Amino acid sequence: MSCGKTFLTEELKALIGTTGERVQACLWGIEKETLRKFTQAVMDPDPRFWDEEFARGTKFGELVTPGIFCTYLNKTPSSVEDPVTKGFRQNPVSDGFAIERGGRGSLPRIRSELVRILNAGNEIEVLQYPHLGDVVFSQAKIANIEERGGRDGSHMLIVTNETIFTNQKGEVLCITRGSAIHR
Amino acid sequence: MPTSEELRNKKQVYYDEIEEGQEMPPYVIGPMTPTHLFRWSGAIENWHRIHYDQDFAIYHDGLPNILGQGSWKQSVMPQYMKDLCLPDGWAWKVSFQHRAMIVPGDTLTVWAKVTSKYVKDGMGFVEMECGIKNQDDMETCPGNATIVLPIRGGRAIPYPFVPPKG
Repeated sequence: MSCGKTFLTEELKALIGTTGERVQACLWGIEKETLRKFTQAVMDPDPRFWDEEFARGTKFGELVTPGIFCTYLNKTPSSVEDPVTKGFRQNPVSDGFAIERGGRGSLPRIRSELVRILNAGNEIEVLQYPHLGDVVFSQAKIANIEERGGRDGSHMLIVTNETIFTNQKGEVLCITRGSAIHR
Repeated sequence: MPTSEELRNKKQVYYDEIEEGQEMPPYVIGPMTPTHLFRWSGAIENWHRIHYDQDFAIYHDGLPNILGQGSWKQSVMPQYMKDLCLPDGWAWKVSFQHRAMIVPGDTLTVWAKVTSKYVKDGMGFVEMECGIKNQDDMETCPGNATIVLPIRGGRAIPYPFVPPKG
């Protein structure tokens, strides 16, 4: 690195492979109404997601959801304080982004002097669609942290998280990988 | 964008029909409106104000307008790949980067172009570059995808999908 300093500290290296708690991503199993809202918002009118008779004749045998649907299921349980009210009480000019969604199964924070964070890219690998009524679980892992030098001599850390989504039978539904640049 | 009926009656595209360099039929979505963006934020409970609070987006964050969500783009891409594969293929992997903003008024084109193809375990794998361009031909979400298509007279693509070993 240009100035001889490394930002990939031993503390950060030790985080590679750290796995979060396996949590139930959806509180009540996959429901038809939530699925309707999602597919209408993404503008996917596929009858495999809403026409039970048609879905029975497909290879899925019943209603399914888009593969990526399971990545949006980790919501705040009703048992905790309303996170929106709490978020704006803590910060009246909150941008809304940091409002907690329960924080269940989260990974340790990456502590670094490199505080600007940019989305470097996402990947989704789909093996099976969630079926209506499925209970989805997720487990996140810090898959990798690497340091790179920019052309201008700057430093950056590339942090890649991987999350595996499974159903109530332990079958893998999909795997997502997201990388963030810390600079 | 296809209708429900078109998706219900979609004819299978076979691996044999695919050629390197082939451009897949694009989807045109839009013009996007604030209501589309707000509906998506509500559906997935994304409370980031830059997606629905125009004053906040412009005067606090210095943005040109409220922004289309990256999460929406990353949901549209697998949808497009899924539709290309229906009814018996499988949209296995999609990866992408978020490069440019989407704002209300934009009309978007989701596209893919075949870069290579190969057979493994009796299934037809098709590699593609893909993305979502706006009306000015600016790429907002460049990426790559791997879809799996049946070969005429060949084995069925398993469901759940079982990736080939190695």
